[in-house]
Amino acid sequence: MSKKLLGAVVLLALAGGLGSPAAAAQDEPALPFPVTSYALKNGLRVILSEDDSLPIVSVVLAYRAGSLREQPGKTGLAYLLEHLMMFNGSLNVGPMQHIGYINRVGGEPNASTTAELTYFYETVPSNQLGLVLWLESDRMRTLEIDAAKAERWKQSLLDDLAQRTAAEPYLESSLAFDRLLFPEFMHHHGILGKEEDIRNLTPGDIADFYVGHYTPNNAVLVIAGDISLPRARELTDRYFETIPPGRDVPPPPAPRPPQKKSLVQMFPESLAPYPAFYLGYRVAPPYSADYYGLAVLDYFLLKGRTSRLTRRLIKKDKLAFFLDGGLEKRGDVAALKIFATSNTQSSADLCQKAILSEIGKLRLGPVPEEELDRAKNVLKRDYVGRFSSTLDRAMFLAEMYFSPVGLENAARELGRYLAVTPAGLQNVCIRYLMPENCIIMNVKMR
Amino acid sequence: MRRRLSFVLAVVLAGSAALGQERFRKSPPVPDRLPELSLPKIDSIRLSNGLTVAVIYLKNCPFICAQLTILAGERDSPESLPGLAGFTAEMVSRGTPLVSASDIEERLEEIGGAFSATATLDYSRLSLVFLDEYLDRALETVSLMALRPDFSDKEVAGLRFTQRYEMLQEERNPEFIGRRQLLRVLFGNHPYRKGMFSQDVFRNIRRRDVLDFYQRFYRPNNAIVVLAGDLNLTAAARKVSRYFSTWREGEVLRQPTPPPAAIERERLCLVDLPRAKDATLFVGNLVFPIDDPDFFPFLVLNQALGGTPNSRLFMNLRESKEYAHFAFSEVDLYRSSGVFSIRARVIPSACYSAVQEILGEIDRIGREKVTTFELEQAKSYLIGNFPLQVGRLEAMTQRVSEIMTFSLGEAFWSKFYDSLMLVDADSVLGVGAKYLRSPSVVVIVGDKSALAEYLREFPRIEVYDVKGGLLYTMLKGVEE
Repeated sequence: MSKKLLGAVVLLALAGGLGSPAAAAQDEPALPFPVTSYALKNGLRVILSEDDSLPIVSVVLAYRAGSLREQPGKTGLAYLLEHLMMFNGSLNVGPMQHIGYINRVGGEPNASTTAELTYFYETVPSNQLGLVLWLESDRMRTLEIDAAKAERWKQSLLDDLAQRTAAEPYLESSLAFDRLLFPEFMHHHGILGKEEDIRNLTPGDIADFYVGHYTPNNAVLVIAGDISLPRARELTDRYFETIPPGRDVPPPPAPRPPQKKSLVQMFPESLAPYPAFYLGYRVAPPYSADYYGLAVLDYFLLKGRTSRLTRRLIKKDKLAFFLDGGLEKRGDVAALKIFATSNTQSSADLCQKAILSEIGKLRLGPVPEEELDRAKNVLKRDYVGRFSSTLDRAMFLAEMYFSPVGLENAARELGRYLAVTPAGLQNVCIRYLMPENCIIMNVKMR
Repeated sequence: MRRRLSFVLAVVLAGSAALGQERFRKSPPVPDRLPELSLPKIDSIRLSNGLTVAVIYLKNCPFICAQLTILAGERDSPESLPGLAGFTAEMVSRGTPLVSASDIEERLEEIGGAFSATATLDYSRLSLVFLDEYLDRALETVSLMALRPDFSDKEVAGLRFTQRYEMLQEERNPEFIGRRQLLRVLFGNHPYRKGMFSQDVFRNIRRRDVLDFYQRFYRPNNAIVVLAGDLNLTAAARKVSRYFSTWREGEVLRQPTPPPAAIERERLCLVDLPRAKDATLFVGNLVFPIDDPDFFPFLVLNQALGGTPNSRLFMNLRESKEYAHFAFSEVDLYRSSGVFSIRARVIPSACYSAVQEILGEIDRIGREKVTTFELEQAKSYLIGNFPLQVGRLEAMTQRVSEIMTFSLGEAFWSKFYDSLMLVDADSVLGVGAKYLRSPSVVVIVGDKSALAEYLREFPRIEVYDVKGGLLYTMLKGVEE
């Protein structure tokens, strides 16, 4: 390792082998894999994680460019940019060539957009790391926005939207419920965007969003797999260090505290084949002290075949034949959402009462330890599953980096979920799952 | 810049760097040395009751995946009860005489377990991924399920309801409907056709049917257990033996399945899916069984034709002609036969042209050699992608289970690279000519009233409903 490298690399001591210098740190939890992180001069954060079990490497380049960053009238921009950057080409890479280069070596490219982030990612044979960094750096530096091709992609998104609207019978009501649960525009508008907004997007809008968000200082680059640290450092320096930083991206405005007001609404859904309803609560912000109890509550109520509501509504009382939901975070806000469909309206009504009754019981007393442990083990399985492949691990590290937890505290996260007690679960129910905080939307078949 | 400025806006973060960029940015880098692929070793042993146990050692893996394969699939379901194999596999987890279905579920979730049961055309599979500290509890629970299922009337009725509901949901999906119709036509009267059932079949399944299927096929000498995780064969086999040694072996009679009859004439089917916005196309041919040596050249053919977006079909139908949202091909292989199929979603007005382009591409790859560039590109993809394919625990376990189920040998594991390297343009043309010169079956899924004006150019179309019932035949767009 060169002197320059030694000086710049910050060893996070998150894992065994990379060193846990102080005796006091020996009891600190560690992620079950090594992590190294450093920043380039332009502000790009690079995170490396070695794993030589297979000769593959995953690269994730995540930008703080999710739908939260879109303005009214300009929805769908983040999702459109994801497609343009995947397919349209950049200065040295022609249309479709990015995918072509990756596929030719057996790699798998993909991208996804969430409320917070847009991710671009590839898994390739590990000798092709340079190729991926060459491609990613080219589309970070330049994006070719051909007006005709932008129109084609807009049309493709509109087709996608139309297809989903036709195929997903509860899509409209789901968006309407989000507007009730998340009153602020930035949180409630859909990632796919609104039809009229997408139609009106101009090449200028696209260019502005690109220049404002797809910059090194607004991104994190994670490389996980069969790598050598000095070689990875050399390649990240070569391809990314000379890309100039963009303007500072201001954080989204702080959300207003949710009003504590219960609400029951009806939504006529043209495609709904069965009666259904949504039920939700605005809860504590993501990764706040109460968030961990709420995440466990999500598993306790809804996740897995033995969760409390699945057992009662689907198996025991047979009041619902489909039950979905969970804790959903959008930037700095979060909500617990439940969606159920029933065969008849009377079953749907009874189902809703049963959910409220089960939640009422949780407020009254602690749940059995054994039942809670089961929910925590299902959560643990899903959490550990986020490290199970190089790509999963890279995605996890990118999310942790941008979250309020930060990379340096990521190893403590699982312990926080597993430390939730029956009393802690009761407390979050008392604080957040109160009748005056409950929003319900009944879906009527048109 | 390749196009006129008035039409193209190149957004450049690096400002002047666009003109005076570093030389290394202009072309892709030379790759580093190709890394060695060292796959985990597969160790196996046969227990005294005939149960085969295989172990894949994965250092530091936080999960264990356990898969129990029963060598009986949908082809073994009775003629009158298609779907029984899958139904039986699902029923296995639904309780024993002493442990209720709910208790089984609790036991699985207490170990952080994710359980699934499925039946393919040739075999049934129970799969459990769990946190690695719970191997004993996992094996105990799987052995309870597999050795002492209760198949209570109540659980049978519950599963009938769930399966029907799930298939009703599937029957909204044009890809599910299209593939099912394609396989129904390709397999004709072959036993594999029993795997292409509709939701009605669940009405007829009773407890005694499930019990009968179980008693005929769920025997240790007709089963394979594969465990993948941070464990070794000796310890794992001891534990498997502890929980499965009371499973009694027995005679298993499976009817041999000859290959399906060849397709003698081109057939075109339309499945009416009201309100579908696009047309979903499937074009398919019967090919060869899974253990046929033509596998490797055909894999390369499939890759060159439609494996990924840079293959011929995608580049032609989507990028060049702009008919399709996507167009890919794939190969599904079974014990007695295999299916090569092309799948595309196209705009309704391009339906006829897209079918002609697809048939043209099939014809071309059966008559002309792939170029050296295409050959190398396809092999490079398949070689590079192999470690990605086995990089996930459940996928790796499933691959090893299939290698053992079909006795595929090292060519499909440690010698996969070598097998691919031997493929040349002649062998690709050879398998193209051998399998793709026969008539293809074409299935279009879409809204028949919206597609009507674009279907007139087809000489003859069989029109089906969503469940697969023949409605009528159209000649040049006119109902016969």
